[in-house]
Amino acid sequence: MLAVDGVPTPEDLAQKIPPPERLARRPVVIAECFQPIPCDPCSHACPRQAIGPFKDINEIPQVDYEKCNGCGQCITRCPGLALFVVDLTYGENEALIKLPYEFLPLPEEGQEVAGVNRAGEKVCRARVVKVVKTEKMDKTAVIWLAVPKDLAMEVRHFAIK
Amino acid sequence: MRQEISFVEIAVIGGGPAGLCAALEAANAGARVTLLDRQDRLGGQLIKQTHRFFGSQSHRASERGINIAAELTGQVMSHPHIEALTGATVFGFYEDGVLGVEREGKIFFIKPARVIVATGAAEKTLAFPNNDLPGIYGAGAVQTLVNVYGVLPGKRVLMVGAGNIGVIVTYQLLQAGMEVAAIVEAAPKIGAYWVHAAKVRRAGVPIYTSHTIGRACGTRQVEGAVIWQIDEQGQPVPGTEKDLVVDTICLSVGLSPLVELLAQAGCRLVYVPQLGGHVPLRDASLQTTVPGVYVAGDAAGVEEASAAMMEGALAGLHAAYSLGYNQTGYEARRAELQQQLDSLRSGPVGEKIRSGLSRAMIG
Amino acid sequence: MEDKTIICRCEDVTLEEIRKAIAEGARTLDEIKRLKRCGMGPCQGRTCRPLIAGEIARMTGQNPAELALPTFRPPVVPLKLGTLARGGVPDEQA
Repeated sequence: MLAVDGVPTPEDLAQKIPPPERLARRPVVIAECFQPIPCDPCSHACPRQAIGPFKDINEIPQVDYEKCNGCGQCITRCPGLALFVVDLTYGENEALIKLPYEFLPLPEEGQEVAGVNRAGEKVCRARVVKVVKTEKMDKTAVIWLAVPKDLAMEVRHFAIK
Repeated sequence: MRQEISFVEIAVIGGGPAGLCAALEAANAGARVTLLDRQDRLGGQLIKQTHRFFGSQSHRASERGINIAAELTGQVMSHPHIEALTGATVFGFYEDGVLGVEREGKIFFIKPARVIVATGAAEKTLAFPNNDLPGIYGAGAVQTLVNVYGVLPGKRVLMVGAGNIGVIVTYQLLQAGMEVAAIVEAAPKIGAYWVHAAKVRRAGVPIYTSHTIGRACGTRQVEGAVIWQIDEQGQPVPGTEKDLVVDTICLSVGLSPLVELLAQAGCRLVYVPQLGGHVPLRDASLQTTVPGVYVAGDAAGVEEASAAMMEGALAGLHAAYSLGYNQTGYEARRAELQQQLDSLRSGPVGEKIRSGLSRAMIG
Repeated sequence: MEDKTIICRCEDVTLEEIRKAIAEGARTLDEIKRLKRCGMGPCQGRTCRPLIAGEIARMTGQNPAELALPTFRPPVVPLKLGTLARGGVPDEQA
């Protein structure tokens, strides 16, 4: 449980995961933010207003799945690093995860890494598809990771072997 | 010996987030400000906050504390109405509102018409056997060591306390290449924002709530730590001991407001555990029970830096207004700042601060 | 090595010594300070004060809110004797 050990429960996550038919259509952002805290940059980050605007700074982000096209521009704006893009249309057996990453060294594109779940456990092999890092992202890189499709809702981090 | 006293309009003691914003707001209103900070550079604790801040997008949320420090410091240094003195320690608040200052081995005295005390807070510590072994630090001290000086305290660390500071410093120690054996937290729940906790957890750090450090182990330095589960009375639960091999222990068990100067000024203090300990009584303008003496930031009650910046700005605005500056723009600006501060404190995580403030507010 | 718990790092005062002082009748932070020097070292009590207050409250059943703070006299931080002796006027002008 989040409040006790830092890991969200399946019930917590159920509220955050879009319906299967939406996931099958195109990439989408998963906002793993479960607590009303005074924080609103995500609500200003989306060019299509898929998150926000907030009435109150303590609002929990709700993603409008029809507006979100999974571009991932919001990922580096979240101070809690809690925004992830999941693309189930990426391949036959692979899903693509775009996740925020603030450790050095950065992985190489094409490198094989270990996919890590929310509890910090290595759960699969994963492949680094792309490393996005620009000046504007202010030192938070976004890593595109290809993972087995059935682990698309599990992998949220990776470890360089 | 001859001793001269110089007169200034507004003195701000402390150049952290609250003090920098207080100085800028008062100076923008037209007042002349003397900003005193004992460190060699301005910014206070902001200069080691390498993470992105929470808060409102319109007020620097998602920016890193270090960048905010650089921006505010730049504005302060180039402001024609602000004299910023670094390496200047205010060592006494004397009768008649005179401040004693030490700088570069010399002493001088100033008498400000208004004083804004933004002295921040100090780290609390914990009593446990062998807590004097080398290798045991405050988490904030380690954050300074690592993020300001680029020095690692060891290879593998135990973090005691899962509040925002404990969890954020854990993350930054991982970034710096240390291993973190665990975070222990005596309370049954994580005090940090859960997104921070999730971040360190997926990076492989176990978080043990309802656990505490039983003792540190080692002869000449830390070689390990024993942790155990505690019951609701804080007593160890038999059979739950774990031995951890660590060479560093970081204590992140809260902060105490630094109120010594306020006490010397004669401000009435009240003990408010939700705000970290003894804090000065103050009104909505941040003025204490001593007319002309204002307080802002952690010295007024331990809170997030985002709130400290707003409080500093409010104190600066009121101090300048009371001297006759910005009589026309004052009310609109006051309402804007107050609304922003209230909104930061408005949600469920602000409940502790709100209940604390209800005991520290007067008028 | 024998376990010991330090309360005041500056003056090397243990939890055992603090408890003994309270058992012998000390009831305030100022009394402990005079008996044990806690608060007279370089940190001026910033580290030990909350711990000692907690111990007094626990052992005597007092409410921590009722415990008086010690008196804070200038200087609140350590100053060099040379600085104090020199005062505010540079030597060459004195």
